[in-house]
Amino acid sequence: MTGWLLDPHFKQQRGGWTPAGITLAQLIALAAPVGVSLAERGPAQIAVLITALVACLVWELAFALIRGRALSWHMATVALILTVLLPETVPLWQVAMAASFGVVFGELVFGGRGYGIVSGAAAAAGFLVFSFTGVGLAVASNAMALAVLPGALLLLWGGLMSWRVLVTVGVVLIAASLARDGADSLPLVLTTAVFGLVFLVADPVVAASTQLGRLVYGVLAGLLIVLFDTIEGPAIAPAAIVFACLLASLFAPLIDYLDVKLAVRRREARHG
Amino acid sequence: MRGQALFHDRAHPEIVFVSPISGVIDTITLGPRRSLSALVIRSETGQHEPDPVTMAMSSAAEVRAALLAQGFWPAFLTRPFGRIPAPDAQAEAIFVTTTPDNPHAPDPRVVLAEEQDVFAAGLKVLAFLTSGKVHVCQTPGTDLAAGLGDRIRGAFFLPGGASGLAGTHIHRLHPVGPGRSVWTIGYQDVWSIGKMVKTGFHDFTRVVAVAGPRARQPRLVRTIAGASLTELAGAEALPDPRGRPPCVLSGSATSGRRAAWLGRYHHQITLLDDNPARWEPPASSLVKWLRRESSRPAAMIPTAALERALDFGFPVIPFLRALSVGDAETASRLGCLEMVEEDLAAVSLACTSGADYGRMLRHVLDELAEDA
Repeated sequence: MTGWLLDPHFKQQRGGWTPAGITLAQLIALAAPVGVSLAERGPAQIAVLITALVACLVWELAFALIRGRALSWHMATVALILTVLLPETVPLWQVAMAASFGVVFGELVFGGRGYGIVSGAAAAAGFLVFSFTGVGLAVASNAMALAVLPGALLLLWGGLMSWRVLVTVGVVLIAASLARDGADSLPLVLTTAVFGLVFLVADPVVAASTQLGRLVYGVLAGLLIVLFDTIEGPAIAPAAIVFACLLASLFAPLIDYLDVKLAVRRREARHG
Repeated sequence: MRGQALFHDRAHPEIVFVSPISGVIDTITLGPRRSLSALVIRSETGQHEPDPVTMAMSSAAEVRAALLAQGFWPAFLTRPFGRIPAPDAQAEAIFVTTTPDNPHAPDPRVVLAEEQDVFAAGLKVLAFLTSGKVHVCQTPGTDLAAGLGDRIRGAFFLPGGASGLAGTHIHRLHPVGPGRSVWTIGYQDVWSIGKMVKTGFHDFTRVVAVAGPRARQPRLVRTIAGASLTELAGAEALPDPRGRPPCVLSGSATSGRRAAWLGRYHHQITLLDDNPARWEPPASSLVKWLRRESSRPAAMIPTAALERALDFGFPVIPFLRALSVGDAETASRLGCLEMVEEDLAAVSLACTSGADYGRMLRHVLDELAEDA
């Protein structure tokens, strides 16, 4: 397998992202939302953060050891996303269980980030909501929504997120809320949805990977969010975004497959 | 003697390889499975200059026979597959790559500046080999192929990105696929053919750019096809403070290869630092373990850089995934037959995986060539 690696002399001129660099960019993007969640929810949230970090990184280390692979530290971003999603009232053992399930069965059993098909953080949050009664995910505040924006811009600028996904999901959500509740509800819809959209739905690894496919994926994710949204009023339930993300990412390979078929058909029509 | 046949293709004895200089054969090295690995000729000037040869130029068959006999045939490469065409193969079109493929490559307009008539004579020869068009792909400027009839056409590509690569030209002007084949040839080879027609002598002079961080003075050098890079680099390289020799690449910094001799299709020599200066972690084994490089390609994260680096009008990520799992069918249906290794050099550098997609492409192309 070593035969497929780039010659080190070329590798040293590599200008693009490395896996660790991507992790770092995501951590920077997540720093402000995590800070806001710690400030809003107090010291109990710090315990949640530490528990999630330890659980996620232990599993990543364990798998790196078993497989003899380099660490990407990606599971730290999973832990930070979880910290923002989980309220401080969740018992810590449940946090550890959910984080372990999410990173192991969401990502690591497939080989880690980039090999699997679902987002580890979404898998963990979904597991938590399904398994333990009475647990709800934290609803984002205005400050949280504002804190997400610089990170989102960073990810967009670095090409680590596709605007196509964000725009289509946003359009579907806005259209649905306009149809249901009128224009007054728009700020609340966007505030409650933006964190999940940026860090779960628009993750390049779980979204469709063709340009047209990303639009389709965005529409699908938006419709699923509207369908799963169980909170009364215009606010969007975080759990709806989590489950919509999980389900839409399962369809992403199918969307890619269909778009490749389309591309082949276009090519054949043009060149014969 | 210059222009004398040295050896020929085993499958096609008509394809001969001739000596670029007059001299004495020094060593012959055989590679794996008794393939010819290197044939070194020591130059001796002034003694055995060849007699001029007149190229018969009246019919397509004669031109073909003359190019084969005079050793110009290996200058052509087919697309798909990037191989030397069979002696009786037909090209739907011929692409003359007259564009620099990267900012450090020699500018063809400078190289050909005073000898455009020689280049034009070479282009006229190419027109005999195809019933289609001869596309002379060049950077914007005066048309190097002006006034040579309507079958020899200039095509202009703005510099930047992959626009200097033959793969891009072919994709834009004459896409190929199964059963459709075009040939590519470099501008300096066309110049050599033109020189042969005009003077009757072989002239395998090459103008190459010497560049890279270890080059003493990046510049154009006039040398010979297949010249010894170790000798050239010795004079051109900056001394290293730690006394390490430079890493000599034949070709560009992204798609060249480490070599001791100037490659047949290369117009550039890149001198790199041999051992990349890296921050050495402290000797603690834990830190070393955490920072070690993976021995296998890492995961591919679909970033926007990948889509920018490869613009062949198809979904990039699924294409790279098909290549990396060796899915020859999907790759060929998406258009991998238009490419060779150099077209994927940029995307390999942009990808998080650190995988060499050029090598994966060659693997897939070999498989497809076997079926074809």
